[in-house]
Amino acid sequence: MVQAGELSTPRRSRTPRAAHAGGRSRHAPRWRVLAVFLLPAVLLYSVFIVYPLLSAFDYSFFEWRGIRQAGFAGLDNYRDLFGVYPYDRQLWRAFAHNALFFAGTMLIQNTVGLLFALLLFRYGRGKRFLQAAFTTPYLVDPLVVGYLWSLLLNPTFGPVNALLEAVGLDSWALPWLGDTRTALPVIIVVNAWQWVGFPMLLFSAALAGIPAEYHEAARVDGASAWQAFRRVTLPLLTPAIGVVSVLTFIGNFNAFGLVYAMAGSTGSPAGSTDVLGLLFYRVAFVEGGVEAIGRSSALAVLMFVFIFGVSLLATSYFRRRERMLV
Amino acid sequence: MRYRRLPALAAASPETRKARRRTRWIAGAVGALALTLAACAPGGGAAGPGETADAGKVTLSLWSWRVEDVKAYEKILAAFEKSHPRIHVEFKAFQATEYNNILATGLSGADGPDVAQLRAYGGLQPLVEAGQLVPLDGKVDALSGFDPKLLEGAKGHKDGKIYGVPFAYQTLQVLYNKKLFADNGIRPPATWDEMIAAARKLKAAGITPFAVAAGPDATWTLPIVHEIFGNARYGSTKFRDAVLSGDKKFTDPGFTASIKLIKDLEPYFPKNVVAVKIPDVQALFATGKAAMYPTGSFDLAPVLQANPSLEVGAFQVPPPPGSPVSTPVTPGWADGSFGINAKSPHQAEALELVKWMATPEFGRLYATELKQLSAVPGVSPSDPLLAEMAAGYAAHGAPYMLLVDFRYGQPNGDAVFRDELQKMLAGQTDPAAVAESLQKGVEQWFKPGN
Repeated sequence: MVQAGELSTPRRSRTPRAAHAGGRSRHAPRWRVLAVFLLPAVLLYSVFIVYPLLSAFDYSFFEWRGIRQAGFAGLDNYRDLFGVYPYDRQLWRAFAHNALFFAGTMLIQNTVGLLFALLLFRYGRGKRFLQAAFTTPYLVDPLVVGYLWSLLLNPTFGPVNALLEAVGLDSWALPWLGDTRTALPVIIVVNAWQWVGFPMLLFSAALAGIPAEYHEAARVDGASAWQAFRRVTLPLLTPAIGVVSVLTFIGNFNAFGLVYAMAGSTGSPAGSTDVLGLLFYRVAFVEGGVEAIGRSSALAVLMFVFIFGVSLLATSYFRRRERMLV
Repeated sequence: MRYRRLPALAAASPETRKARRRTRWIAGAVGALALTLAACAPGGGAAGPGETADAGKVTLSLWSWRVEDVKAYEKILAAFEKSHPRIHVEFKAFQATEYNNILATGLSGADGPDVAQLRAYGGLQPLVEAGQLVPLDGKVDALSGFDPKLLEGAKGHKDGKIYGVPFAYQTLQVLYNKKLFADNGIRPPATWDEMIAAARKLKAAGITPFAVAAGPDATWTLPIVHEIFGNARYGSTKFRDAVLSGDKKFTDPGFTASIKLIKDLEPYFPKNVVAVKIPDVQALFATGKAAMYPTGSFDLAPVLQANPSLEVGAFQVPPPPGSPVSTPVTPGWADGSFGINAKSPHQAEALELVKWMATPEFGRLYATELKQLSAVPGVSPSDPLLAEMAAGYAAHGAPYMLLVDFRYGQPNGDAVFRDELQKMLAGQTDPAAVAESLQKGVEQWFKPGN
């Protein structure tokens, strides 16, 4: 691998220069060629990402009557989200649930993912098969996963409770998705079940990139397995931890499909699983009032700004940590 | 490592032409892509639905949210085309959950429908306020014979104009399994106490008395359950008028007591009702594991589809103790209407179609083909059970007020109420607090006396 890299570097730098020197007079300028290559991507990106984002931003500052703009509203739509009952409560409740969702996922999904990666790294047996097995659930859409699990957990007809009762654990046969105390944790666990393969793969790749000498040196110095992990492996995983954390954060604060499939648009039961995605869905589509477009756009903008801002801060924080490693 | 070849191609002279060709090819592809995108955009090029097929014949497009009714509508519309040979109607159905957005977008462009199925009450307002519909006042004479209660659902909230011809209405009552009632020696109850005694008896026999769901997909049915059991207790139409005029609020003791009824009935609902979904209760009722199903007339067809041999009866809930009303009430509402797109190029033909939808001919076809309660005056359903429901509504009908009057602003009353009812069944709040939340929610936009 190292050799191949060394071989390719000089060649890669030589060829474009040759292309330049020989081609400037006879060919179209380089930027034009580049533009042609970039154009499709830029076009698609603008049409499907930049334009909707900007229009949501624009919409959020107007008063709406159905799909007719009824005049500039300033920050009214934003004020409504924080001031009109019950949105004022639902917004913070949904935000808190997203935060819990994120904390729970970090704790369960990413810790277990790291554990799996370490185990697979140390005991290579069946590695390929297990990696494939752990990552299979994320080939399935969250809506489908949510639907399947809600069938499994159905209190009247579901096999999970039937199984618990069959082995004598009757007191464990709870209405998992119907109890305000268990619903959100169950959704967090199902979400982790689906995505645990993702941190596992990233951590596996990062573990493979840590030179074996470091571990040997630690062992020679008399470090215990835990010390070696805590003082050598974990710090060197910082870049991977950074990537996993930021992606988990983005995914969890945008959560919708799984929660919708398991808890409906109202975040059943009694709003105990309500998240920002569901709140947006309700304001925009379910209630469908005349003001829906303005308020839902305002919420979309708030969510974007928050997720984008925190992701930037987190990324720069992890960059700094990485630099401290060198 | 294939990327390394690309610059090399551009460098060597024999390869240059190839590269140029490739560049041109890419440019061409981009151009083609742009064309495709333009063709996909609304209003782009392709012949609209209103184009004349052969000389003099006009094609109208009719949009609906009833995907399951396509066949029936084709049959119904064939009758219209027979009497109106110059007009061809194309029926197009969309998913009910996506319909509102599809319709709002469709009406704003050039490829929208000529005639569209419209939601009722608050659901109609976004289209009215955006000026997307044609007022029908003075244009469809037959509308004057329609039940004013049902016409309300097709009116603009602010201007009071009629924007559609109502097609159906729904009634609320309790469906019951005749065989289970007979097996347990129960008759349709004449008093509230009789109903509770029946429920107790059924529960003791291991049968779920009331098939009620309060799970994630079922919260919208909770206000319906409340209407069925509580309408008489809170005072029915009189209370509604008092709330609209500002004389009473939802925090009224009568209304709170009507909410408490649901909490009191909980022992007779399925276990862990907050986790129970709509398909679960439909299955419970259809398979004879639950004896009574408080629901709308719209559920009769699906229940019979699940078990065609099920013998179903229906009763109106007897007034609970303390009710200001002494007769049982059948709450109901207008389901929707058919209206005309303001941008339709075929106004005259669209009006013809909508006028026809107000005739008994359409009403009868609609009632027989779809097994629903037609809104056309004088049309009675052929199904005896539906006829019974219709008679109940005609004699002691009352508006399902949260749907009829409190969906004109956000948050809509119905949405606040269902969350709170679910919370109550989950043991997180009590009837008085539910009433307070509802009042607080509608106060955000509702001004009494308008």
